[in-house]
Amino acid sequence: MNDFLSRRNFFKLAGAGIAASTVSKVAMAALPEIVSAESANTQTPLHPDTGRPYNPVVTLNGWSLPWRMNNGVKEFHLVAEPVVREIAPGMKAHLWGYNGQSPGPTIEVVEGDKVRIFVTNRLPEVTSVHWHGQPVPNGMDGVSGLTQPAIAPGKTFVYEFEAKRAGSFMYHPHADEMTQMAMGLMGSWVTHPKNPKFMPVDRDFIFLLNAYDIDPGSYTPKINTMLDFNLWTWNSRAFPGIDPLVVRKNDRVRIRVGNLTMTNHPIHLHGHEFQVTGTDGGWVPPTARWPEVTTDIGVGQMRAIEFVANNPGDWAFHCHKSHHTMNAMGHQVPTLLGVQQGDLVDKISNLVPDYMAMGETGMAEMSDMAAMMPMPLPENTLPMMTGKGQFGDVNMGGMFSTLKVREGLAKGDYKDPGHYQFPKGTLAYEFVGDAPEPPRQSATDEKAAVEVQVRKPTGHAGH
Amino acid sequence: MKFFRIMLTCVSVSLALGGCATFSQDGGFDGVKKTSAEHIKQEIVWSKTEAEQKAVADRVAELLKTPLNADSAVQLALLNNKDLQASFYQLGISEADVVQAGRLPNPKFSMLYARNDGDYKIEQALTFNIFSLVTMPKMLEIERSNFEKTKRSVALDVLNLAHETRLAYFNAVAANERLSYSEQVKESAEASAELANRMVKAGNWNALEQATEQSFYAEAIVEYANSKNQQTSAHEALSRLLALPLDQLVLEKRLPDLPQTIDELHAYEKTAFEQRLDLQAMRLETQALAKQLGLTKTTRFINVLEIGPARVLEGRRGDPYKKGVDISFELPLFDWGSAKVAKAEATYMQAVNRTAQLAINAQSEIREAYSRYQTNYEVAKHYRDEIVPLRKKVLQENQLRYNGMLISPFELFANARAQVASVNSYIATLNEFWLAETALQMSLIGSASKEGK
Ligand SMILES: [Cu+2]
Repeated sequence: MNDFLSRRNFFKLAGAGIAASTVSKVAMAALPEIVSAESANTQTPLHPDTGRPYNPVVTLNGWSLPWRMNNGVKEFHLVAEPVVREIAPGMKAHLWGYNGQSPGPTIEVVEGDKVRIFVTNRLPEVTSVHWHGQPVPNGMDGVSGLTQPAIAPGKTFVYEFEAKRAGSFMYHPHADEMTQMAMGLMGSWVTHPKNPKFMPVDRDFIFLLNAYDIDPGSYTPKINTMLDFNLWTWNSRAFPGIDPLVVRKNDRVRIRVGNLTMTNHPIHLHGHEFQVTGTDGGWVPPTARWPEVTTDIGVGQMRAIEFVANNPGDWAFHCHKSHHTMNAMGHQVPTLLGVQQGDLVDKISNLVPDYMAMGETGMAEMSDMAAMMPMPLPENTLPMMTGKGQFGDVNMGGMFSTLKVREGLAKGDYKDPGHYQFPKGTLAYEFVGDAPEPPRQSATDEKAAVEVQVRKPTGHAGH
Repeated sequence: MKFFRIMLTCVSVSLALGGCATFSQDGGFDGVKKTSAEHIKQEIVWSKTEAEQKAVADRVAELLKTPLNADSAVQLALLNNKDLQASFYQLGISEADVVQAGRLPNPKFSMLYARNDGDYKIEQALTFNIFSLVTMPKMLEIERSNFEKTKRSVALDVLNLAHETRLAYFNAVAANERLSYSEQVKESAEASAELANRMVKAGNWNALEQATEQSFYAEAIVEYANSKNQQTSAHEALSRLLALPLDQLVLEKRLPDLPQTIDELHAYEKTAFEQRLDLQAMRLETQALAKQLGLTKTTRFINVLEIGPARVLEGRRGDPYKKGVDISFELPLFDWGSAKVAKAEATYMQAVNRTAQLAINAQSEIREAYSRYQTNYEVAKHYRDEIVPLRKKVLQENQLRYNGMLISPFELFANARAQVASVNSYIATLNEFWLAETALQMSLIGSASKEGK
């Protein structure tokens, strides 16, 4: 993550490629140029140089789309197209996205802005864009068939509306959306308040929750999967591919999270209490907010949480569904916990020469083994859990990142500050000596109704 | 004694005509050796003397020093097989027939003696079957032809034994390979069944899952037992042909690899069948029968013509003997010989037709054998180049998935079993190929079904 916050990694495409051939000359002259991103790293926030001022957001492992002003209208150009997205180092997915990445770039506007968005379809099938959560004229709502004809491949459509309400939104297709969302076609939208002093924060992050089912060894998501996904991602990135959220101590931080998966995600932050200050329906009145450390983000919902980062450290920030903090894993793998195998390996390896016993003491040995010896996996496959901290394996994957709170960071400095240096006496330590006998229930207690077999830890001997 | 002189002249003339019918130095074995050498590299020995038997025993011991390949197994069979030695003695029997045919029948002496009150009747005659002087050269020719046929037959026995030994050898090696694979499967099925038991003990699995995994093991045991049985049968078959006990048989570990290429069909087409020994033997037999038919035709009226000097005394003992000649021959009053001719004719025509059918069969057998050879080559190659590597690839990929805890170890074991099954199928097809190759070579020599024996 050294290249965190690399320089804006764009390239501009002259004209509009396929669009040029299908749009009239006059209209072509009117098309804003296409800007595309090549990198999956978090890009520096896009500070507005035209239009109304605002405090830009940081798109986690993403970027914001530049615009041009045209007679007082903010013009953006989205191109729906096949992209290759790096899910984490060592794994790439063949997705559909906008302007070179999935999710597409964040669109940032200011309350009251008149917005015109050109949408060019470079997908092999029709598409449309729905501006999730925004009050727009019915004909700009982007539901193909219902409110507009679908955008045929090669065609460019124009959406025009006023960004009426400040808040956090999403955009995604509303044509064959099962396929297109499963392929990663989506993006974030932020409408900043007209008054930059309204609910100001020092750091404002945004990302979408998405999920993919990519068979180990393959690249394209299985679009017919309903719930049994094997890659749980934030902005189409899985840990350890998700950048940390870097904040300065005592910064007021806002994190906006949208859920475009097919299940809810209890997003949990360590070390801080936050409040849900916004939904895609608007801002939550201060009197209605309650303190939380976990907020469940339902399907199709957007939540903005806010807190003061007053507790320095490297704080875990993750979905609380434990399977969502894993990468590809076999959901049919039987539990081998407590099953001694070492003595059988010789016999088995007659037939399966590279067989190694696994799972006897739990799944964490997966990380041990990956470290101990290179255990080859199918190509383009992330280990089930991985990620290193300063003390060893984190045993995490999927929807996991860290909130890194440090003192004395510069404003706008999002660079990974490295591992947290623990002040003396603030780190858990090993007890040395005789452990005192823990108090137990007296023997006269009622006998347990069912005899329970307690599985005692057995250590790693024999591996 | 004029008649005796005439008779001696006849005999010497006929002997001159028929040539010398005496036993040969090699007893016909050189001819068999020569014929079999045209088809196989291995040597054959007709071990009649103790010294010859010792030499054979030494050679057998020598051959047993290294693991047997197909060629050395064949050599062992040719040296050691007792049936083959029995076949060689057929040469002796047949040659004896030739010598017998070249010998004149013994003269017959007959005597009548009667007495009444001092009156005597005494008739003495020494007769000789003069007709055999006419038939002997032809009989000799027929028996020589039969002897030739026997040589072909014995050569065919040699090559048949070589053929069967090759088949048995390949079957035995394949059975060994199969057994070792099924042993591996059994062992690892045992391990996974044990793992399943432990899963249940640890509370991780239920009886259904355990039973499923146990059933793989149960089947693997049966498979192993069957392979063991097959291996025993295959080795016993080889042991019989080599006339050696099982414990002396050490075979090469693996079947020979598939050859790079196989021979083209045209090498086996058209005239290849004419080289077949069974066909040659049948032709010789037909020729012999033709001669037999000719002989029967020329001798149809006369069965026995006997001539010889006779002496008769009739009257008093002191009277002089009357001398004369005794000639007798059967009158074809009731038997005009037509039945004999018809039988000889039918026998001849039977042989002619059998020979023709044998020629037709030979061509067809060669084509069929080639087709089997070619098909088995393609199938074995397909197993070697496609199916086995694909199965291996599947196992490797699943190993990777197991490494990532993406699949269960039991799924991996099932896959490994499927991989082994594909290797077993390859061994079976490779064995089939070598059997087919052997059968093709045999189809050029004679019918493998031991016709002509
Ligand atoms: Cu989740």
